Amino acid sequence: MRALCETAVEAALAAGASYADARAVVRRNQQVMTKNRRVETVTDVESEGIGVRVLVDGAWGFACDRRLTEQGAREAAARACAFARAAPSADGRALAPIAPAQAHYVTARERDPIEVPLEEKVGLCIAAEEALQLPQVNVTQASVRAQKEQKVLVTSDGSVVEHEQVECGGGIDAMAAGDGGFQIRSYPTAHNGLSAQAGWEFVEGLDLVGHAPRVTEQAVALLTADPCPSEVTDVVIDAEQMALQVHESVGHPTELDRIYGTEASYAGTSFIQPGDLGSLRYGSEHMNITSDATTERGLGTFSYDDEGVAAVREPIVREGVLAGFLTSRETAAKIGAGAGGSMRADTWNRMPLVRMTNLHLEPGEGTKDELIAGVKKGVYLETNKSWSIDDKRLNFQFGTQIAWEIRDGKLGRMLRDATYTGITPVFWGSLDGVAGPEEWVLHGVTNCGKGQPGQGAHVSHGTSPARFRGVQVGIKS
Amino acid sequence: MSALPVAQDAIDAAAGDEAEAVVLTERSGLARFAGREVHQPTLIDNVVVTLRVVRDGKVGIAATNRVEPDGLRELARRAGQAADSSVATPGFPGLAPPADPPDVQGWDEETAALGPDEQAHRAAAAIAATTTGVYGFFTSGETELAIASTAGVRTSQSMTDATTIVVAADRGCSGYAEASSWRARSLDPAAVAREAAEKASRTNGAAAADPARYRAVLEPYAIGTLLEYFGFDSFGAQALLEERSYFSGRIGQRAFDEKVTIVDDALDPRGLPKAFDFEGMPKQRVPLVEDGVIRGVVWDRATAARASNGAHSTGHAPPASLLAHGPFPAALQMTGGDAESIEELAELVGDGIYVTRLHYLSVVDPREGVITGMTRDGTFRIRGGKVAEPLVNLRFTVSVPELLADVPGLTRDLTLVNGSDFYGERYPFGALVPALATASFNVTGSGSRPGL
Repeated sequence: MRALCETAVEAALAAGASYADARAVVRRNQQVMTKNRRVETVTDVESEGIGVRVLVDGAWGFACDRRLTEQGAREAAARACAFARAAPSADGRALAPIAPAQAHYVTARERDPIEVPLEEKVGLCIAAEEALQLPQVNVTQASVRAQKEQKVLVTSDGSVVEHEQVECGGGIDAMAAGDGGFQIRSYPTAHNGLSAQAGWEFVEGLDLVGHAPRVTEQAVALLTADPCPSEVTDVVIDAEQMALQVHESVGHPTELDRIYGTEASYAGTSFIQPGDLGSLRYGSEHMNITSDATTERGLGTFSYDDEGVAAVREPIVREGVLAGFLTSRETAAKIGAGAGGSMRADTWNRMPLVRMTNLHLEPGEGTKDELIAGVKKGVYLETNKSWSIDDKRLNFQFGTQIAWEIRDGKLGRMLRDATYTGITPVFWGSLDGVAGPEEWVLHGVTNCGKGQPGQGAHVSHGTSPARFRGVQVGIKS
Repeated sequence: MSALPVAQDAIDAAAGDEAEAVVLTERSGLARFAGREVHQPTLIDNVVVTLRVVRDGKVGIAATNRVEPDGLRELARRAGQAADSSVATPGFPGLAPPADPPDVQGWDEETAALGPDEQAHRAAAAIAATTTGVYGFFTSGETELAIASTAGVRTSQSMTDATTIVVAADRGCSGYAEASSWRARSLDPAAVAREAAEKASRTNGAAAADPARYRAVLEPYAIGTLLEYFGFDSFGAQALLEERSYFSGRIGQRAFDEKVTIVDDALDPRGLPKAFDFEGMPKQRVPLVEDGVIRGVVWDRATAARASNGAHSTGHAPPASLLAHGPFPAALQMTGGDAESIEELAELVGDGIYVTRLHYLSVVDPREGVITGMTRDGTFRIRGGKVAEPLVNLRFTVSVPELLADVPGLTRDLTLVNGSDFYGERYPFGALVPALATASFNVTGSGSRPGL
């Protein structure tokens, strides 16, 4: 694959490109899902190809070819250059300088998740589902996934980076319908379970079977729970929902391509301006957010990104003040700070974009129970159910699968259909406590969308439960 | 590359097994622009073969884009291994029998021939049409879907599609427009840009609105997106069987204004026509709501067999990647009304809110059809029957059945609203819908100002 990438880069330079990079990818992905104790899907998908990105006379071009052959590499390079020539370009385009990289990165693992027999994966799902059964539950499901990707990046400024990464994950859901509406409970997370860049030992450690009874009992209990009231109150939010809160209200708005408007036609822009760096009050002094592409088991962990910039750990928010952006070489050059490091492409047939890698809420101190103990009247919210945020990432509304009333520092009655809403900097400004490192958990998000044509990204967020004062819960009308 | 021979080769590679091959080819270009330049131009050329193998009632699926003999042999091996690893599915209806798909339009030679130069020039036309910055894309592509199986299915369809979307935006103002067709020549990217820019010019100085239930006019862009999200859970058989659908227990009941009729019709040449689904079953026009009465949902053979109530496939089997979701409509169509223009709808509303498009929708409660999201790129107050001053982007949390329960009017003309964000393999779809006036649009908060 390295030779093919080198061929593509040489062909692009010969065709007039001032810069070129080529990525060859071979990916294999397995999914098993059972539903109501029937096998819903057993799939084994592979995809391979080469993508070539070029700069010609200041204009970007990108083309790809499914054939991992010399002809495929050359033709992709030629078409990328032709598209760049045909496209209107800006006057001048600088890329932040980087030192050429030579790297070979392999995910640390004990069991290669793709090599785990499909029978074992089916068996795990069926066993987990058996443990979910209750008469009042009308849908149960279990799923596991495994992925292996080999990728080579060659750039015209001398970088050669090879990756062999594996991911895997799994989860269970129980759904119940009745007078209390349609209720769902999930473990370890909503939306197809929890994934990590790790070997199959990660899935084994989830203990899907052991957690099934609690999950299914809570789904049934929600049918007769009281609805979450509409009021302004204090909230404690569990670590999983905090992961999505960080993702949507900190991760996306700090992507510098959005800030410069290049995502305006789809995912949107940002309430942040380039000049806000170092001065914008994002939240309270308890808010510390770090981007870290070196996190062990992170879905966004790599040695070098998809334009050859080294993985880094750097602050995004420090004690509530904006301290950094997620950048590419191009956007870093525009702002005159850093060298990028967040460029990632979905696969061989998509251009790299500025994406989150692993974005964490740094832990504070104490436990979730201590956060709850500090609330006289409020709501404890757990596990994401719905999510929406405006195009500048200001007005958000999240729903959670389950909630509990807090009275005098203790959990009370269960509540269903809980939502909370806010305006990003106001909400983060009301943060008055983050639980400590012992409650800090790494969550994987595998459905992050951006770009046209659309691209999915897999990212991780380490978070602890957190407490916010004076938040609107329930739907205001 | 012709898809049907590849499908046949895949079946041959699985010799000895009951097997079905689905081949989807794509050759497309997308020129994405921002401000005054194309910044993300993407050319894609790909073939994906999905092979479903059945052994002793056990089903396994594998896919590849390596379509040479060794790739297909390996594909057959992995699909067989997946089947061996599975357990027999009770009530599995087997592979689909051969059927004659209907003749449909949906392929245009000129559109199929568009290359990167033409795609880039159409993007440039949108950029040049206005002095306001424009953010969007022009894309065109040719796809072919072919299916072959050991049950005797041999069918294929070539399709073309083209879409332009434009957000015209500057500091504090933005407007939106789009156009889609299977004939690229019927798209005018410059006109789309001018429509977006005109809308943007009226959004400066936007104000907040109090949370309340408003009368409202929703443009087709908003209605198309809202129906798509409502349809994910409510218009498909699997959601009905799992009691997740708003239609669960309500079929035959009047639930909406009698002016509301919704069908799924992939055969209509005004949309993006499809002849058959992902197991080769012919597409049917399916009434979902007629004159406000809930009539049914869309089915594939698996859900029909599971229901055991006389239901049959309506030609809505999903691709393998969406099997867990079950069948869903991808050619929604809402019948138009009597209004000759959107301005007439504003007169019917009197005082309320005007919504151009929606952003980042999420289903809050599938069974009650509750959806939240934001308005975007052209939200206005309606005063005295006229579109008036601009509003900031508004958060709404609506029960779609409530929104459709009292509909003062709909436009006569329908607009094809693109439904694809072009994730994964290209399979264009959209909704053919009018603009609509409603007596109930529940605003629950205010968000960002329009524009950059």
